[in-house]
Amino acid sequence: MTARAGPTLLALSPSALADRPEATLRDLGATLEPDAVSVLGPSRDPQAFARARRAFDAPVVHPPLESGRGPLSTLALDTADETLGVSVAPDSRALRATPETVADELAASTPCVLVCDDVTTSVRPTALETTLEHADALASALPRDRVTTVLTGSEPAGYDELWHLASETGTVRAVDHDPFVACRSTNEDAVSVRLRGVGPVEGYGESTGVALVTLGGDGVERIETYDVTDFGLEAVSGIGPKTAARLADLGVRTRMELLETPTETLADLPGVGRGRARTLHQHARVLETGEPRRLTDESLPGENWSTPPLCLDIETDGLSPTIIWQVGVYDPATDEYRAFVERTDPSDPGSVLEAFCDWLLGIHPDRALLTWNGWRFDYRHLGAFIAKHVPYYADEWEAIPKFDLYLWAVGDDNAMLPGRTNALADVASALGYEDAGTGLDGARTAAAYQQFVRTGEALEWDRHEAYCEDDCRALWHVYERLRDGPRADSTASNTASDRSSEPSVESTDVPASGSSGRRRGPTSGDARNANERSEQTEQTGLGDF
Amino acid sequence: MSNHRSTDPTDVPITGDDLLETFPRYRDAEDVTVLELPGREAATVPPATVLRPELAASLEEALYTHQAEALEALAREENVCVATSTSSGKTRIYALQIARHVLEARARGEESTAYLLYPTKALSRDQERSLNDFFDTLDLEITVRVYDGDTEYGENRRRIREEADVIITNFAGVNTYLHDHDRWARFLSACDLLVIDESHTYTGVHGMHVAWIVRRLKRVLSYYDADPRYVLTSATIGNPGEHSEALIDEPVTVIDDDGSPTGPRELVVWNPPPRARQDGADDRDDWSQVSGRTDSTAESADDSAERVTEADADAVLERVPATVEAPRVLSHLAYHDAQTLLFTPSRKLAELSVKRAAKFRGDNRRTYVNPDRGSAIEPYHAGHSRRQRHGTEHQLKTGVLDGVASTNALELGIDVGEMDATVQLGYPGQRQSFWQQIGRAGRGAKRALSVLVAEHRTLDQYVVSHPDYLLEADVEDAVVDVENDAVFAQHVRCAADELALSEDDAGSFADRERLERAVEMWRRAGQLTGALETGVSYAGPPRPQQSISLYATAGEEYEVRLADGVDEGHDPEMEPLARERVLRDFHEGAVRLHGGQQYEVVAVDHGSPRPSVTVQPTNVDYYTRTRTDVTVLDAVSEESREIGDFTLHFGRGRVLVYHGTYDEVGIHDGTTKSRAIPTENPPLSMETQLCWLEVPKRLERGLVEKYREFSLPDLEDGLAETAHLGYAGGLHAAEHAIIGVAPLELMVDKRDLGGLATLSIDSHLDQDAGGDARDGPSGIGPDGSDDAPRNIAAAEATVREIAMDLEREPASGWFVYDGIEGGLGFARAIYDNYEAVAERARELIAGCDCGTVGGCPACVMDDQCGNDNQPLHREAAVDVLDQLLGDADETALEPYLPDEEYGGDRRPPLFYA
Repeated sequence: MTARAGPTLLALSPSALADRPEATLRDLGATLEPDAVSVLGPSRDPQAFARARRAFDAPVVHPPLESGRGPLSTLALDTADETLGVSVAPDSRALRATPETVADELAASTPCVLVCDDVTTSVRPTALETTLEHADALASALPRDRVTTVLTGSEPAGYDELWHLASETGTVRAVDHDPFVACRSTNEDAVSVRLRGVGPVEGYGESTGVALVTLGGDGVERIETYDVTDFGLEAVSGIGPKTAARLADLGVRTRMELLETPTETLADLPGVGRGRARTLHQHARVLETGEPRRLTDESLPGENWSTPPLCLDIETDGLSPTIIWQVGVYDPATDEYRAFVERTDPSDPGSVLEAFCDWLLGIHPDRALLTWNGWRFDYRHLGAFIAKHVPYYADEWEAIPKFDLYLWAVGDDNAMLPGRTNALADVASALGYEDAGTGLDGARTAAAYQQFVRTGEALEWDRHEAYCEDDCRALWHVYERLRDGPRADSTASNTASDRSSEPSVESTDVPASGSSGRRRGPTSGDARNANERSEQTEQTGLGDF
Repeated sequence: MSNHRSTDPTDVPITGDDLLETFPRYRDAEDVTVLELPGREAATVPPATVLRPELAASLEEALYTHQAEALEALAREENVCVATSTSSGKTRIYALQIARHVLEARARGEESTAYLLYPTKALSRDQERSLNDFFDTLDLEITVRVYDGDTEYGENRRRIREEADVIITNFAGVNTYLHDHDRWARFLSACDLLVIDESHTYTGVHGMHVAWIVRRLKRVLSYYDADPRYVLTSATIGNPGEHSEALIDEPVTVIDDDGSPTGPRELVVWNPPPRARQDGADDRDDWSQVSGRTDSTAESADDSAERVTEADADAVLERVPATVEAPRVLSHLAYHDAQTLLFTPSRKLAELSVKRAAKFRGDNRRTYVNPDRGSAIEPYHAGHSRRQRHGTEHQLKTGVLDGVASTNALELGIDVGEMDATVQLGYPGQRQSFWQQIGRAGRGAKRALSVLVAEHRTLDQYVVSHPDYLLEADVEDAVVDVENDAVFAQHVRCAADELALSEDDAGSFADRERLERAVEMWRRAGQLTGALETGVSYAGPPRPQQSISLYATAGEEYEVRLADGVDEGHDPEMEPLARERVLRDFHEGAVRLHGGQQYEVVAVDHGSPRPSVTVQPTNVDYYTRTRTDVTVLDAVSEESREIGDFTLHFGRGRVLVYHGTYDEVGIHDGTTKSRAIPTENPPLSMETQLCWLEVPKRLERGLVEKYREFSLPDLEDGLAETAHLGYAGGLHAAEHAIIGVAPLELMVDKRDLGGLATLSIDSHLDQDAGGDARDGPSGIGPDGSDDAPRNIAAAEATVREIAMDLEREPASGWFVYDGIEGGLGFARAIYDNYEAVAERARELIAGCDCGTVGGCPACVMDDQCGNDNQPLHREAAVDVLDQLLGDADETALEPYLPDEEYGGDRRPPLFYA
């Protein structure tokens, strides 16, 4: 895992725990190494709580069942360096009961973090209004003139808004957006609540349910999400709950045990077969060793070219961009990185693109480009923006060969990758890439740029450029590891065709949608759309996939 | 094309009078009216006056004046709405405009594309064919392709997007495709024309979604620097210009001066004969098409049962259903060589009508001595395969068929040639629909015959007593409301997903204040990021477009499913239902009649993401009637006006509706078999739009006295003898009638309206108006859906409490509200047209021949009444409406007014839904 600064709290939704083999939870614990675990409310689920207590070594809390001496209990997070406490309220009623006690306890605590799972927002579209439920309880019990971070399982991970409440009434004074850019309390009368979601994120009929909260400074440094099926046997592509249960009957509960089970045995399982048994082994090995594996003889995109492709990454001001303000290109041939950044006139989306196209078409007219999931984001938006803002380059841009490593590896089943998710940062990190530790992600850098556009205050340009460069270099790192990694051996040389000719077993059993960006095809709604290939993945976050 | 070659307009197979003379069995002359409609000569201009020479030259026929007028307006870069009759060549207008654009663009070496939006997939396919044929005859290489849910995925779709000149789809498709607009860049960039065909079909909830999808499409088009013109084609509606402008948010030139020819027409309004049998209690709008549920019971109602004695005829409580009578007329006309199209309200009835037509022949051998004559009659509806439908269409055109019984699938646009006659099974509910259907009859300049067979229900019986209504120049207004914030908010998410929302959208997509509030709401909810000045992106769960339900406001649309193991042939094929409808009509245990088949609701799943209602066919001798508690809370007047001494308000408020129990009512005798069975429904709380009328005090006092003797001994609540009961019954009856006749003036579905008559309007108003109205006096929190369950009874109690505490004497009157979260604009339209609607209501009540105080289902009874249609008082209702309309002398009630100023009893806080 990436190095982390502070102690961590693992937030688990009860649905992620239900019917989950204990071995999976153990793998989850062993992989994420949380310092404490919270089984999310607001509903009581003693069974889920019991499961978690059995599976994890770290202290486990289930807020709805907490009723200690005071209104709050403290969850201690012990690390080698320090011990921090997180306050836990069973629900907002507990805050109302003795607000002064709560305020005193919180005021004395650092960091100032409260878990309260029934705090949530609700939307009233007929009034075009979003209300904060239990705002009055928060206003009465939280310390003033200071920002309290409230973690709630009732909002999805990724929810992050700063609510300023009148301390007497709980009336909403203002709501600051993007508190990760700037987070201050307003004045002495106000109670400032930075509400952060740790609940499941809704995907295509799937939800993540695992959030790892890293504490730091006076609150929460970051929150990462995972799908519980990224762990244990189910992390192996092709193993869903049904197959996992059958394997458990054979005494196979971990990936190591899977690898120790002969493929012949696996092949006898209903709906597995020889080809698939081999694939299960291969993927389990990839996950266990951290070594990628090529499944076919297919060469990497651009592998046979005389010069390698240029690794490309863009930064925008949002998922529906109005400007592509940074284009980063890493040239593996010369180990040079080039960034095109709009630092002065954000109202002009054309000049960065023009500079980029001048350079690309003038200096490297015969190179190919490489991205990570670029067809859903980088290529898509570059194409649209070039057509609109530098139309004289549109045809040349269209003609440039464009490759996508994610599509080649995952979409076309040419390789198996280690990493909990298929997000570039996860894959690269699993393959030993050490990033520059900018602490940024796509959403942050977009929000920061929006801030620059609004206020004219300069960004930390170096940091944001380093973030983009990181992704370009990480992409090449993954490429090299795949290029140099073991090829499909002769016995498995036709694995791909084997697989495709096999009946698709447990078709619902593909790994569920991943965390922070990895999304499979839609499983609800107009599912037929999934037949259009590039719709099989969906960019839902600004991070490179 | 026609198999009738004669050009003599009078040489027709059968006239209206012939029909009356030859149709077997007794008819009361009063039950039938024959109206004469004159014909119209064609008005044409040579194509060369409007079109460029190469187009004009390849066009064989002259242009009708309205076609030329529309093409001229388009040449001036105007948007047009063409609202002319059926078969007046509306398609040709935009086909020629496409040809113009393509020729001009190609001359410049560019492309020109057109986006065509049709309401049904069947129509899309039909028009794809005829447009391709038309461009062939013009010798133009213009590719027209359908792109919708039935289009093969993958390469085929990509080719259409990248190559077609004209793409035909529907609004559900556009809603989805906007997510990937970059794939449509070629097509959208070149788009010069956007066509909304049969635009009058977009009203109510569906209409407002369409209006927002058009606005989203416009943003994307403008992103690609496309600025297309719009052509809307519409049936004749009252407000084509206003309606079109509401849909597309652009000025529109209306073309409604029809230059196409039409022959004279005879219109026969046919009320089926009365019958004595008491087995038609289930006459509840469209669920009640067949009162006898099976063929045998329906047919056994014939003959003896149909005839009533003269003495009974004054008070007609029941008539032979149109479902039985209309197929007979079809059969009769076909026998007399008139190729006839029967319009039925459902697929099942289309099938059933064909059988009944044949049986009628067989049962009347003496009249129909040659039973095989004119007996080639087939059903037609969207449930048939495309191939089968094309076969039927072709056989109609070529004269092989003598008759067809069809759903409204043949009402919209599909080319089947022209008939000799049409028959309508029941009034189709709207004049525009009525005209669209009868427009199918009439071969060139020859006489056409159209027969409307009335049902025994409000609108039909109104038409029977006021046949001139059909001929009035005004047709209903189509209502599209873009003020509903619940719908707006959903489209804001989609718009941000498609292209960042920015300053450019303030004032164009929505006004700034509203847009900012919506953006702020979603930002606080974590679903949008960014600000308008820099660009707002969508950050919620993937593909917000998929959460749009085109038939519901709050995104909750219930799919109607058939229970497991039931033959798919029984699939009711109903459109998805809004939550509000499900709670009222589709609770577990409900028995609904749909398409002549009884269905029982066996399961209701309210859970997201895909709520559903499961039904299975059944055959029981009862139907179900929901008992409803309704109350209005916290109404705030936003606008008001005086009508005489009355005050009319429009505003917003909360309506609490609780369909808590239901009764099982015998079909044959109307008796309640089981009472107050719990529905297990949650209550419903809606923030919606309302209008309400305050009756002047003086009138109220007079009417209370005039009807103080009225009592209903079996009325619950111990209020049977209260002095105000007669007057309250009058308000209640007037409220029902207003809602019942609203569809005569406006294109509204009365099931989307609700009402509440009350003796204390004030206690339903926000007591704290001007202050923060969020928390009503009942303590119902902002999120009513959660709190309402505990509070419906409390809410009613609160209303009564407020009534008792009011400092001034409250006004009485009634509310009419939109029964959909956020409102539909219907209450608003009624507010704007109140006098016209009230006039119709008065005519309906006064003209009904039921002869009872409490009315009948054809006048003031309403199957949706939560109070079991009690109390109702027709006479008192007429008195109120007379005063409202200024038709009665103000002094008419003098004799009843009590001497002292505040005489009379203390009013009870009565209110009736």
